[in-house]
Amino acid sequence: MTRKVIESALAGSTLTSSAIENFSYDPTAMMPDVKVLKMGGQSLMDRGRAAVFPVLDEIVAVKDQYKLLICCGGGTRARHVYSVASDLELPTGVLAALGGYVPRQNARMLQMLLARHGGIFIMHDDFEKLPLYFRLGCIPIMTGMPPFGYWEKPTENGRIPQHRTDAGVFLSAEVLGARRAIFIKDEDGLYEDDPKKNPKAKLLPRVSARELLKMDLPDLILERIVIEYLTRAHFCKELQIVNGLVRGMVTRALAGEDVGTIIHAD
Amino acid sequence: MSKLVSSDGRTHIASPLMRESLVDRKVIAKTHSERELAILPDVVLVGIGGQSIFDRGREGLLPVAEEITALRTRPIATRPRIVIGVGGGTRVRHTISIALDLGLPTGGVAQLVGAMEEANAVFLNALLAKHGSIVMQREHFWELPLYLESGMLPIVISIPPYHFWEPPPEGGPLPAHGSDFGLFIHAEVLGMRRIIFVKDEDGLYDKDPKKHSDAKRFERVTLEALLANLPEELILDRLLFTCWRTARHVREVQIVNGLKPGQLTRALAGEPVGTIIVKEAP
Repeated sequence: MTRKVIESALAGSTLTSSAIENFSYDPTAMMPDVKVLKMGGQSLMDRGRAAVFPVLDEIVAVKDQYKLLICCGGGTRARHVYSVASDLELPTGVLAALGGYVPRQNARMLQMLLARHGGIFIMHDDFEKLPLYFRLGCIPIMTGMPPFGYWEKPTENGRIPQHRTDAGVFLSAEVLGARRAIFIKDEDGLYEDDPKKNPKAKLLPRVSARELLKMDLPDLILERIVIEYLTRAHFCKELQIVNGLVRGMVTRALAGEDVGTIIHAD
Repeated sequence: MSKLVSSDGRTHIASPLMRESLVDRKVIAKTHSERELAILPDVVLVGIGGQSIFDRGREGLLPVAEEITALRTRPIATRPRIVIGVGGGTRVRHTISIALDLGLPTGGVAQLVGAMEEANAVFLNALLAKHGSIVMQREHFWELPLYLESGMLPIVISIPPYHFWEPPPEGGPLPAHGSDFGLFIHAEVLGMRRIIFVKDEDGLYDKDPKKHSDAKRFERVTLEALLANLPEELILDRLLFTCWRTARHVREVQIVNGLKPGQLTRALAGEPVGTIIVKEAP
């Protein structure tokens, strides 16, 4: 009784051995010129028109110069969902699935606001149609959450899903082959402590992912797992954090200026 | 009624996580619990190997299908409640070889492999349809209780839906979140306590028994002992073991030989055939 095997370099492999690390691999970037942008949930969307409109004005002004993919964060409704779900003793995977609803709502809100400029709401399954949307001059808008949902790993010492909207934004940039992902938040960048709670906290304009992990800060402006992934990314080597409440920051970040904080792979 | 708070320019809903950074370790720790709800605790997940069983065609698959069919002749109340997962096998390996040679990014590879598993789910469903099997589409996740209550036999796609968003692997270009991991996490999120993997070896060995005649089989081993000395070649995804460490529900992973008739049935009856890996309660 034999296995019907197709001959290939990996035929018969358990796919678990590190021996395949020697496999020759020269990856191609799919769409390196796409600018992946994250609209913060709590930081921007929950501030409503006062914060959202100026950022959208900046995006609309330059939309024909770049291929923009906008991903949305969740915010306070996601926190409420996580609170209630934790109170009900639901597992991490269910929280991750539930946490997906809010950023999708936010993406739909932005789509309505950007519809007359080509804003188009897309789901994960539409990702392969991005070239079409860009060719048509559209601005695709999607959730920042990755599609892991119920398949999210249990979180050690807690149950907030480790992969949330920052992770999804980074992973989108990585698979597209974009060098930098831009996170629009309501702070000038990454601080050594939460500037909302400690006004003396120091801004870090440029820091490497390894340095940052070594600092082992109790809190961070981006999800911790994204910093870990950055150290082993193939394409997305830089995460930029800019303040969407300061006029012109988004425009300058899109133009490639090093405003805000740059977290880079070593 | 929940209160809305908007003193800082943002509109918050009052909740224990209001205004909090979900990256703050102290905040995350507040959500920790050892009493997490088990959603479907008495269901057993049965994973059928792709390379090990499906790729052997009728000789490998039909006896396993017959064992599952035999369970169906029992009255509903005494049948083990099982969910079946299927692996992809040699076509997955061929897909990955070609995809890597073409230089597709890791997320692109992850996007492709699920299709080969789906083909195996369709094969199995064709064999078991008259006994009430049904392929559960991912978007029908919450229909699982419906299938189980009505005595049906759900077949699930094992590969987790990480797709284009597969995280960068720690070493090499292969996606780390494979089908064994996917089945594990499927069981874990639903609070299942047991998983049985049907493969073509008598269990887990300290090295690949296909290549080493002196390989030693584990009969019963704790996860902790296994993690302390994880074999280089494994019969299950490496990530399954590392992820299990932080899991709350899965207590037992059993690996049985599907080429030996009766092993699956005995494992479902709770007998210690093959290898049993246990996680001690914390």
